[in-house]
Amino acid sequence: MNENAVDFSEVTKHFGSVRAVDGLNMTIERGETVALLGPNGAGKSTTANLLLGLSQPTSGNVRVLGMRPTDAIAAGRVGAMLQDGGLMGGVSVAALVGLARDLYPRPRPLAELLTEADLTSIADRRVDRLSGGQAQRLRFALAIAGDPDLLVLDEPTTAMDVEARQAFWTLVRGYADRGTTIVFATHYLEEADENADRIVMIARGRVITDGTPGEIKAMAGRQRVRFTLGRGDIAGLDRLPGVTSVDLRGPSVTLNTTDAEATVRALFASRRRVPDIEVHGADLEDAFLALTR
Amino acid sequence: MFSLLRLEIRRMLTDTRFLTLMLAMPIAMYLLFSTIFENSPPVNGMSESVRDMISMAAFGAIGAALLATAPRIAQERTNGWLRQLRIMPVSTGQVITAKVLAAMVWGLPAIVLVDVTAVLAHGVHMAAWQWVSIGALLWVGTAPFAALGTFIGYLTGGDAAFGVTYGIYMFLAALGGLWMPVTILPTSLQHIATVLPSNRFAEMGWRIASGHAPTVLGAIVLAGWLVVFTGLAGVLYRRSNATR
Repeated sequence: MNENAVDFSEVTKHFGSVRAVDGLNMTIERGETVALLGPNGAGKSTTANLLLGLSQPTSGNVRVLGMRPTDAIAAGRVGAMLQDGGLMGGVSVAALVGLARDLYPRPRPLAELLTEADLTSIADRRVDRLSGGQAQRLRFALAIAGDPDLLVLDEPTTAMDVEARQAFWTLVRGYADRGTTIVFATHYLEEADENADRIVMIARGRVITDGTPGEIKAMAGRQRVRFTLGRGDIAGLDRLPGVTSVDLRGPSVTLNTTDAEATVRALFASRRRVPDIEVHGADLEDAFLALTR
Repeated sequence: MFSLLRLEIRRMLTDTRFLTLMLAMPIAMYLLFSTIFENSPPVNGMSESVRDMISMAAFGAIGAALLATAPRIAQERTNGWLRQLRIMPVSTGQVITAKVLAAMVWGLPAIVLVDVTAVLAHGVHMAAWQWVSIGALLWVGTAPFAALGTFIGYLTGGDAAFGVTYGIYMFLAALGGLWMPVTILPTSLQHIATVLPSNRFAEMGWRIASGHAPTVLGAIVLAGWLVVFTGLAGVLYRRSNATR
């Protein structure tokens, strides 16, 4: 019997008069990779805290792997990388990873953890003497030390450069392939788009929309057809099927449309040549702005 | 829990400033106070110098336990290690126990250093069994103070921790009769002394030095404070969420 990885049922969290989470419903199945996407203040961090048992909901129910969050943590089935998580000073990197290994019931081998988090060369360095990026890799090592069933990452790549970010996500995808459920909070649209099977968009403490990146972009109802108009005639382009607006910029024209296929078919029917034609889906930013208005 | 305890102790041993404090402070305090209070009256059939030594050993052990806990814990709350611990499979009880036991380690050096200084500086003399039993009891008795320091650490903010710790430390020492015998204090304050853990703590040593067994009531008071402080520390640990 496979319980869900995460179940939020009518969850609210109030801080005085502030409704940080306001009726959140969300289900994440085992093995999914889900992004919690939203602007700052949307309630992502509060949601992550509730998920990890760091705070209790004002009302509603939070279940992780079928248990209360604190029980799931105690059972060693959850690993998390907190945005503001700290480290124990005065000990070496290897010693701290060793502690995590000792606490979890099914620890990964130390050498593997150090290699995966790229810590082998600094294994003996004191934790107080790490750079920001190194400290972040160490926190990741602590999160995966116990080979968790659920991996929770709160804004995991903020201090990383492009290379480090790519390496990080390659690693995380490896875990996803092995069946680990991944939940990550981010405000980077591309990151959610590229790495999540599903995106839960959160704003003002609520789920705005929940679907695959493709579904969400389609929801925004916009695609773009672009081609080089040159000295051609712009007349009539706005009357093509599906077209909502026409954008002329230099020699190229962009048709915003709700149905790219119909527009392109009609274009080719009505013109001898359609040079440099490109068809783009709406990007996630359009979708996000449209849906959170 | 043992893994955590080992690490707690290891990191203390790499902290040279902390080590200096733990080792130098008890000696310095003893030399200072034994000079200031050189002429305090004998109490309960034990010489002043023995009484002072035991008071200062107690004073040193209490200080070591408080300073080995509160400041560092307050810092861990600020730097986020506390949050990190709470998302790992280690229980509140294990965290508190590791903190208390690690701090208790520093009770023994404080006691031994004061004893040795007392012998060398003032020629203090006791029977062998008295040295050993007083040392052992005082070492074990550091527990409620390690728990108190842990509680203070989870209670106060990072900056306030040192101040609050020292304030409580002085209060416990003064009203506990560690500087001057309790009999010198006004009667109302003497009653307070009987419930203070500092007083009951040193009392174990004084009783043995004057040839008696420690009181059962004293042990109960100390155990009671241990339970109260560890309980409070546990509650505060769980409640400290620091939603940033």
